[in-house]
Amino acid sequence: MILRASEVQKRFESRWVLRGASLALDRGEFVLLQGPNGSGKTTFARILATLLAPDRGSVEIEGAMPEKNRRAARRAIGFASHQPLLYPGLTPLENLSFFGRLAGVPAAESRAAGLLDRFLLTPFARTPMEHFSRGMFQRVALTRALLPEPRLLILDEPYAGLDDEGAATLNQLLGEAKGKGAATLLIAHERERAGALVTRTAVLRDGVVEAS
Amino acid sequence: MTLIDVAIKDIRLHARDARFLATLLLFSASLVLILSVAFGPIFQEPAREAAATLWAALFFAGVLGLTRSLDLEGESGGGDAVRLAGADPYSIFLGKTLANFLLLAAVFTLTLPIASVFFDVGDLPTLPTLVGVAALALLGYAAWGTLFAALARGLKARELLLSVLLFPSLVPLWIGAVKCTNALWAGGSIEPVRDWIKVMAVADVLGLALAAFLYELIQEASE
Repeated sequence: MILRASEVQKRFESRWVLRGASLALDRGEFVLLQGPNGSGKTTFARILATLLAPDRGSVEIEGAMPEKNRRAARRAIGFASHQPLLYPGLTPLENLSFFGRLAGVPAAESRAAGLLDRFLLTPFARTPMEHFSRGMFQRVALTRALLPEPRLLILDEPYAGLDDEGAATLNQLLGEAKGKGAATLLIAHERERAGALVTRTAVLRDGVVEAS
Repeated sequence: MTLIDVAIKDIRLHARDARFLATLLLFSASLVLILSVAFGPIFQEPAREAAATLWAALFFAGVLGLTRSLDLEGESGGGDAVRLAGADPYSIFLGKTLANFLLLAAVFTLTLPIASVFFDVGDLPTLPTLVGVAALALLGYAAWGTLFAALARGLKARELLLSVLLFPSLVPLWIGAVKCTNALWAGGSIEPVRDWIKVMAVADVLGLALAAFLYELIQEASE
């Protein structure tokens, strides 16, 4: 198992957002996680991505607790969320080269340039991102998540802001990652956009994951 | 190399934010100007008054700079992405400290001549020693500031908490800096107050060493 979350619970002040959510992903699996607004999907994603600690329960990445070797666990994960997780004052290429070097990606700049090209962002690769549209931000954010060729992708609403062309490119890249054995957890409201990539669907409701 | 990459990234972001840089530099220059008018035109003890003014201006400008540095990490989740990259947390800390140090050094470089002119203090032979004193004080400020900025990250009252935490930890550095600057400008030597150099060096080492143990912990706990 590349990811195993067991009985994860999380509370914000007095409100329990997650009440024992469990989920496991194997290599090459593509799981779509759905759920109503406010059901805790983003919180669950942040916990699985090791950005947030659960109050109870456990998460294992590649069979190990992330707390034991946080750096190794994080280098296995590619994460994209509502926030772009980028520096708007930098250009896409500067952002991606910076994060690539931090993550130890070999030839980070040329790989970043290649991915930006796939998302049709080459003309904007050296333009500071401050005035980028939502969709352009999203393309760069997804490129950042895919850059280190992670073994586990956690993508929270990755299609938000993407046009059909962007969504198609994303699906192509996710298909390639799946082909190389990467597991993907996709959090999205619409199943149609992920198309045939999805191998399993789960629903997060009342803080618990229900298989569907 | 993570340290250099992080420092370059922060410096690049600061350098591109003309509004922030203008605010920072105008603020420190204005403070020196206002206090020189308040103390003057006939100064009682120009070296002492100029030293106090210079370091007060640097302290407040530093809080502005650290707060901006903190905002850069939070506004679009860049700080989270840095954590996710799985880089060595202490190298990240050192990179941010280096960038903050260079920012403070730039403010010092601008403020020093203004203070020298308006208070009519300082000369070229004492300049290298003064630069050394400033390097010690600003390195400590950058180290403690970066550490506490990480602690304040994600909190609603982060600017307030940053100032409250910074003030007591910077007392030895700032007393040392004011005393050494005063001694240099008044008597041309820091010999009478040389023990303060040791105090400042200890504060620097303590800030840098403490971060080696606490930075990762603080980063992870601030969520």
